Amino acid sequence: MEPSEVKIGFIGAGNMAFGITKGILLSGGVLPRNVTVSAPSSNNLGRFQELGAAVTHSNTDAVAASRLIFLAVKPHLVPAILREVAPHVTREHVVVSVAAGVTIATLEELLPPESVVLRLMPNLPCMVQEGALLFSRGSRAGPGEGALLKTLLGPCGLVEEGPESWIDAHTGLSGSGVAFVYLFAEALADGGVKMGMPSALAQRIAAQTVLGAGRLLRDSGRHPAQLRSDVCTPGGTTIYGLHALELGGLRAAVMGAVEAATERARELGRK
Amino acid sequence: MSVGFIGAGQLAHALVKGFTAAGVIATHKIMASSPDTELPTVSGLRKMGVNFTTSNKETANRSDVLFLAVKPHIIPFVLDEIGPDIQDRHLIVSCAAGVTISSIEKKLVQYRPAPRVMRCMTNTPVVVREGATVYAVGTHAEAEDGRLLEQLMASVGFCTEVEEDLIDAVTGLSGSGPAYAFTALDALADGGVKMGLPRRLAVRLGAQALLGAAKMLLDSEQHPGQLKDNVCSPGGATIHALHFLESGGFRSLLINAVEASCIRTRELQSLADQESISPAAIKKTTLDKVLQQPGVAAAGGPKAAVSLFNKSNPGRKRN
Repeated sequence: MEPSEVKIGFIGAGNMAFGITKGILLSGGVLPRNVTVSAPSSNNLGRFQELGAAVTHSNTDAVAASRLIFLAVKPHLVPAILREVAPHVTREHVVVSVAAGVTIATLEELLPPESVVLRLMPNLPCMVQEGALLFSRGSRAGPGEGALLKTLLGPCGLVEEGPESWIDAHTGLSGSGVAFVYLFAEALADGGVKMGMPSALAQRIAAQTVLGAGRLLRDSGRHPAQLRSDVCTPGGTTIYGLHALELGGLRAAVMGAVEAATERARELGRK
Repeated sequence: MSVGFIGAGQLAHALVKGFTAAGVIATHKIMASSPDTELPTVSGLRKMGVNFTTSNKETANRSDVLFLAVKPHIIPFVLDEIGPDIQDRHLIVSCAAGVTISSIEKKLVQYRPAPRVMRCMTNTPVVVREGATVYAVGTHAEAEDGRLLEQLMASVGFCTEVEEDLIDAVTGLSGSGPAYAFTALDALADGGVKMGLPRRLAVRLGAQALLGAAKMLLDSEQHPGQLKDNVCSPGGATIHALHFLESGGFRSLLINAVEASCIRTRELQSLADQESISPAAIKKTTLDKVLQQPGVAAAGGPKAAVSLFNKSNPGRKRN
């Protein structure tokens, strides 16, 4: 399937679906008329229409109109949705679930046998095409489907494939990780306010600092420890600040945060 | 070239052992002096073939390169003692923590217009030729003096020149560093023993692990953070252990240690600069023997408080 010709459907019209749609369409790789989005209410469908996508209230219509289907609903809704659309899912379809905690085994159980299933864990910055996405192939999904997904989602950010066992860790690191970064940014700003800066300005500067550092980190290809060392002039301000961070046990706290989020993802996946 | 050591304690012993193992100087060309002949290091030095004397003046007279390897608060006594014996050929290298070049030069210019002084900070692993040494050159030291010292100290480990104001930080890091390592090794061995290893094996393996890691780092262009990553397989034993280290504030403890040692070094130096230290603070045998040397007299007699750096009597005459 050529990415430009593949017909894509979304069941669910939330932020994740929107972020992915935006990424796919903005790159020009997919034609808007080849995208169909389904949601029970019209609330969220407007922004998809603005992009030129087709919208519907019928999940089965979205499935029928597409070959690649993104299942982008809240995890607890997945079983009901799959039962509803299963009769319309053929061997030609590729089902990509974005639902947190729903395993490939569960998906394959609820869909007809021989269904091609992939599981994708994106993160919020997909909405601005700076997502970190990890996907895993189900038992019937071949390298071709993996490559297709990777090409299609490329405009959304970083797309990597991995075994399903990595998806929970990805959730902890990058799905929840976004919130950890927001917390850090907020604390940076608070520090600025403490030292005399107005909060609105401090927050904008904190955001830009995180963004700028993130870009340098991503694009330099160098180890973060090396980049950190490079900023630390002997006896300078940065090394003093870093010492305070180490005293505060920031590293252990962050490792613990990723661990806790991952464990919770695993727990949820078992339920 | 003859080398002399004023002081025959741990430092002198370690340096002599290293120099002779490196073959940079023959032991019969080395002289060491100390008023205290009971020190265990004294017999060690004698056994190595070093000429030993109780007279610092004799050591000064018989040497070209003179290491001051005594405790910081003894330095002023020593300088008063050997001051008159310093010749143009002499290169004075102070190894005393916290003692500034300028304080030594101030003392010595009373006796000689342009004393060649250098200051170095080394550490105990010179004894196995894996020392870490930095040195700073004084006002009248020449370029070849620095090169000579560097050659000597490079034979027993790493040696480089620095600006004097960095020496306290070096003390905190590599001067005290071996103590941090010994502490870590002791604890690592405890961990090994807890998990069932015999003590001797645990110590051996722990030491080798740190030695090997240090060697890898020194040989590598990579950041230690990258080398750490290379050891930590995903979800493996090492990363679990590292999380514990981080939770315990391992990194900040080490930063604190280096900082504390550096700050204390500065404190000790400024105490020395400003205050008088009573003779009681100095080992009695040492002081008595120093004062017995011909040509040495303390201001106001041995029982009075002695001003270390003679700031009140800059022009005090010597017989």
